[in-house]
Amino acid sequence: MDSKIKEIHQQLVSKQITCTALVQEKLDLLKQNTYNSVNSLLDSLALDLAAKVDVKIANGETIGLLEGIPFGIKDVYMLQGTYTTASSELLKNYKSPYTATAIQKLLDAGAIPLVKENCDSFGHGSSSENTIFGAVKNAINPELVAGGSSGGSAVNVAKDYTVFSIGGDTGGSIRQPAGYNHIYGLKPTYGRISRFGLMAYASSTDCVGPLAKSIEDIRIVLNVMSGKDPKDQTSIASSEISEESIATSAVKTVGYFKNFIESDAIDAEVKADFLASIEKIKAKGIAVKELDFFKSDILVSTYYTLAMAETASNLSRLDGTNYGNRIEAENLIETYAVTRSENFSEETKRRIVGGNQVLSQGFSDEIYLKGLAVRDQISENFSKDFEEVDVILSPVTPSTPPKIGDSLKDPLAMYLSDAYTVGFSLGQLPTLTVPQGTSTGLQITAAKNNDELVMQFANFLKDTI
Amino acid sequence: MTVDILSSIKGAQPSESVNKLFDVIKNAHPSNNNTSNTVNHNYVSVSDLREDVVVESSAMEKQLILENFPNKKNGFLVVAKVIEG
Repeated sequence: MDSKIKEIHQQLVSKQITCTALVQEKLDLLKQNTYNSVNSLLDSLALDLAAKVDVKIANGETIGLLEGIPFGIKDVYMLQGTYTTASSELLKNYKSPYTATAIQKLLDAGAIPLVKENCDSFGHGSSSENTIFGAVKNAINPELVAGGSSGGSAVNVAKDYTVFSIGGDTGGSIRQPAGYNHIYGLKPTYGRISRFGLMAYASSTDCVGPLAKSIEDIRIVLNVMSGKDPKDQTSIASSEISEESIATSAVKTVGYFKNFIESDAIDAEVKADFLASIEKIKAKGIAVKELDFFKSDILVSTYYTLAMAETASNLSRLDGTNYGNRIEAENLIETYAVTRSENFSEETKRRIVGGNQVLSQGFSDEIYLKGLAVRDQISENFSKDFEEVDVILSPVTPSTPPKIGDSLKDPLAMYLSDAYTVGFSLGQLPTLTVPQGTSTGLQITAAKNNDELVMQFANFLKDTI
Repeated sequence: MTVDILSSIKGAQPSESVNKLFDVIKNAHPSNNNTSNTVNHNYVSVSDLREDVVVESSAMEKQLILENFPNKKNGFLVVAKVIEG
């Protein structure tokens, strides 16, 4: 599908539509929707901004490409004055005092925020069921989960309620819901987009990224949000990716992880579809190489060990002292404990407790530090792979989306369903989900800072499979 | 210290599902047990630190911080009882 952003831009400039009518139409769709994709609507802000765009157009002023384009925001990003709940009981009445850098850059470019979107609480989940706003329903089959944690964002894009949405990806939270709802979703190289103003889950893998219906829209939004930010010292400088630079693919060799495909856990149809895609790529004269990689259980365990340790630290600040739904008890320590016990979901508590387990004396050497060592090895493995291949192709998930309700019954199965996404998070690599190849899409991964190559190959796949 | 105290969560117990993940790591054999962090360089160079300057919060930011405070009485922000009587 071609760029929606460019199509709408053209309609606005040629006065086929007004920005106010466009925004109102999207707000109505969001309001009436039955997918539980909305936590709060930003209607008055959005309509005010739309009116300003209409005045500019009426006055014959030039507008930027993103000016007047309606978008959605996962409810873990700060946008000054709006509710930012992280889909949690604890922060259900919390208002952002400031605005996240990535969101501010979109506002500066004139994009119009419509909605704070439902997600797993604090990003803790792979199904968008761990939320106080009701499980998000899959855009294609509402009996199934939307995926997570950026489930609301993926559904809003898939249903055309937003032109693009901004999700957050710690272990697959953009790529997996993008796959489940048949759209594009990019986890850029770690640090390419500032994390300032994103509620921290696991700081060493948290990434900001776009979900959209075309590669071109992903490129446009990525360019606007990228850049070094003094407010996030892990952010990095990067160059703009031009439309021309991703039009033709320089990829000569593609790799895939043999053990992902030979695993007992992979659905037979996903496997067959993936291998059929590989054949189509080979038929275009591209060399395909099977690669060895870590077993899925090692990847998942390493990721969750480190992510839980980081989230236990990051969420320790949430004690009801300065903000949040404080529940008073007889003294300060009891107030902390009751506030956290009553306001965190079961899944969030499970992860905090797991994190404190691995960080505590006697366990940190045996588990946490060992997890860090395994992560180093995983990263080294990737470095070696990218000496041999240009990109790595993988399925997004081993199987199709589960029914709503099933994931909550079996947390271990939910963790293991992240087997194909978490490795690339640990490696901090750019990875894009494309809605092709298998029923939950394909992931394209390149070496660090090679986001451009990922998009080049996505364009190639669009015409190939 | 037990995990319920460490986590400030009443009655918290380690989860069986999570323990299964940790068992995998316990049994893993990384070739190098010392984390060298040779690949993911996320540290900041001393020469690249941002300026240490005080930035005044906007009036709107201050207002929102006050609005978010959980307990207020007679114009004062009320914290949980720290000292027991």
